[in-house]
Amino acid sequence: MPLLSDKTYLYTELAQEKGVVLPTPKTEAWKYTRLRDLLNTEYQLCPSTDKTGSLPPFEADVIHIGNGWVVGELPRIEGVSLSFITETMEKTQHPFALMNAAYLTQGLKIEISGKLKRPLLLNYFVVPEDKNYFYHFRNQIICHENSSAEIIEQFTYEGAVKSCYFANIVNEIRIEANAKLHHYKYQNEAFKANHIALHKVAISQSGEYESFCLQKGANIARNETEIALNGEGAEAVVNAAYMMNGWATLDTTTNIYHYVPHTKSSQLIKGVIGGTAHGVFQGRIHIAPNAIQTTGTQLHKAILLSDEAEIDVKPELEIFADDVKCSHGAASGELDKEQLFYMRSRGIGEEEAKQILINAYLTDTITQISDERVREWFKILITG
Amino acid sequence: MNRPEIIDESGDKYKYGFTTDIEADTAPVGLTEDIIRLISRKKEEPEWLLDWRLKAFEFWQTMQEPTWAKLSYDKIDYQSLHYYSAPKQKVAPKSLSEVDKNLLETYDKLGIPLKEQEALAGVVAVDAVFDSVSVATTYRAKLAEKGIIFCSISEAIKNHPDLVKKYLGSVVPYTDNYFACLNSAVFTDGSFVYIPKGVKSPMELSTYFRINAKNTGQFERTLIVAEDDSYVSYLEGCTAPQRDENQLHAAIVEIVVMNNAEVKYSTVQNWYPGDKDGKGGVYNFVTKRAACRGANSKISWTQVETGSAVTWKYPSCVLQGDNSVGEFYSVAITNNRQQADTGTKMIHIGKNTTSKIISKGISAGFSNQTYRGLVKVTPQADNARNYSQCDSLLIGTNCGSHTVPYVENRNRSAVLEHEATTSKISEEQLFYCQQRGIGEEEAVSLIVNGFCKEVMQHLPMEFAIEAAKLINISLEGSVG
Repeated sequence: MPLLSDKTYLYTELAQEKGVVLPTPKTEAWKYTRLRDLLNTEYQLCPSTDKTGSLPPFEADVIHIGNGWVVGELPRIEGVSLSFITETMEKTQHPFALMNAAYLTQGLKIEISGKLKRPLLLNYFVVPEDKNYFYHFRNQIICHENSSAEIIEQFTYEGAVKSCYFANIVNEIRIEANAKLHHYKYQNEAFKANHIALHKVAISQSGEYESFCLQKGANIARNETEIALNGEGAEAVVNAAYMMNGWATLDTTTNIYHYVPHTKSSQLIKGVIGGTAHGVFQGRIHIAPNAIQTTGTQLHKAILLSDEAEIDVKPELEIFADDVKCSHGAASGELDKEQLFYMRSRGIGEEEAKQILINAYLTDTITQISDERVREWFKILITG
Repeated sequence: MNRPEIIDESGDKYKYGFTTDIEADTAPVGLTEDIIRLISRKKEEPEWLLDWRLKAFEFWQTMQEPTWAKLSYDKIDYQSLHYYSAPKQKVAPKSLSEVDKNLLETYDKLGIPLKEQEALAGVVAVDAVFDSVSVATTYRAKLAEKGIIFCSISEAIKNHPDLVKKYLGSVVPYTDNYFACLNSAVFTDGSFVYIPKGVKSPMELSTYFRINAKNTGQFERTLIVAEDDSYVSYLEGCTAPQRDENQLHAAIVEIVVMNNAEVKYSTVQNWYPGDKDGKGGVYNFVTKRAACRGANSKISWTQVETGSAVTWKYPSCVLQGDNSVGEFYSVAITNNRQQADTGTKMIHIGKNTTSKIISKGISAGFSNQTYRGLVKVTPQADNARNYSQCDSLLIGTNCGSHTVPYVENRNRSAVLEHEATTSKISEEQLFYCQQRGIGEEEAVSLIVNGFCKEVMQHLPMEFAIEAAKLINISLEGSVG
């Protein structure tokens, strides 16, 4: 557990203390993510709270995590073993994952051995106060052979927010042979908050990982997914959507490593950026030598709604094997004027018409979610 | 299908591996302020240029060699190179017949038919660069009639100092990057083209570069200025003799395009790629950039890159003028141990600017290739449009192909599209060809030529033939 008192700490100084080199604008993997606000803020450790966030409109087993601390007792769920973690699963060079390990608030070990009937919801909730709080939370999710589960992460906050807070989340996920994990995330942090999340996923033979992440909030947010397809027949679907009308930086980063033959990955990421917001997408498909008969596809599309909005995209293919099918595409532009005109000529107001188009645009990514209830939930979330 | 004519005993297929024995006037090894002063003195340069060189050298010493490219090569010892080497000739030749016979023979072997060209009457004018100093320039009279200046940059510095002073370093400042800065300090020669207002060049202008003297870094500098309503098509072709030491080549090409003007720049790059184990070969670090300063201006880069052990090259378009157009067509082929990190930059600044990128990469053997490109739309570039397509073909299981495009959009009215695919030669296509009695190697070369067609058709005629041959030679031995 961290040795933090009530004192406030400058994040860069904390990093220095642990010898962690935080990214600068010259760090390639972070070049588009402007971290200045995040790094130059003084934080102090979040105190625990009893308050909990609201729940989505479907049945789920819930673990409430308030201010980075698990609220109450851990629930008992059939087929799941829950405990607090004592150490991290693997080493990483990721600067924020290193900080997460160094200053861990709390962490959960979630071992899944059966086929879960209900989704497991990790309901993160922050009650901000006048001070700048930060918390580092980590989950180790192990899906044992032949198991199947659905895990949903929701990040929300309470009330009007004057201060900023920083949530640094790491998920270490191991999917064993023939296991299946659906992993959905909804990020709607306060508009001054910072949110950095890393999902490190290792998939064994014939394992399946399906993910979707909707980012709507925060000041600086990054959702990074790193997937290692380690066993033949392993499959990963990494979809995401982001929408922002304020001034935030929303970053979606994926790194997908095909290490063995006959693996498959697909990505569809769509964003809508307005105000003075800044959208970032960085995606890499890496195919190791001899990882033949692999398929990797990636598509990123973004719409800019305002003159000050920005979008930076870096899709990347890194291929060392010849018998592969890989492609990526990226497009950005504004809302189709003809479509807008079509609707306006039928008496639909401009704002409403825009909203309809945006919804249709983002719904593309949502329709790929396997679970119908979750799909419907996300459809509601993108209209709000 | 033609087989390459020369296969030497080492099994290498580099057709142009020979050295011409001409007495060279070479500066001592190393890079110091004195060497730069020597180069400047030898070239009888004005004071301002020497000052500029020295400023560049001073700045270069504060810079770090870039490491972001996906390239690995032995560290270059910049102090072990000669920075000046000129073929010794007592009197400057007035016509081709006065040029050193050895030189002419070299060109013949390379397939630059200088004399033939003369006979062909005005198809191509060659400003042949042999190492660092221009030795023969043809058709200058005909061009001069139209007011076109086409000469070596050293001559331009002497005869048109105002033009050179105005444009030199205006597109690629000496502070631009490590290799451009080095070039600015030590460049020895290159070409200068000035197309006056309203003039369309009556022929394609062409320069053949050729590295010759042992251990000489080549630092060419080309400057092309196209005034309002003008047009020029410029060809650059490269071959280099075979050597064991790695040779450094850090060139700069600067192009300025004014209102309604168009420049078409085509390159066939075939420097010595090293032998099949990666020994030797040219290090090619090139900065090429065109500024479309005027409205409705257009720049088109076409390149066929088959040579060099290491290629680091990003021909760029700065689209400043409204309605300006930038195009980039590229075929890059790497085989054996070659490495290439190449692509383009499209910077949209003016309104209604459009750009198009078509890049075809073919990796074979143990080679690695990266497409690295940037499309940037600034806030004032309303209605910018870009289309990028990068296709890669892998031949064999030991090569690598990478695509790293950067797209930065600051304007909502911009429409940007990027597509990339990677695949191998389809078994079906191969089978189809073989079924019809076409050998495997020949079939591969047919398919590869088809794969590149979109780019090749943008090459001028003379180049298109040479380039198609080069592709076949480059891929020799990569199949089966």
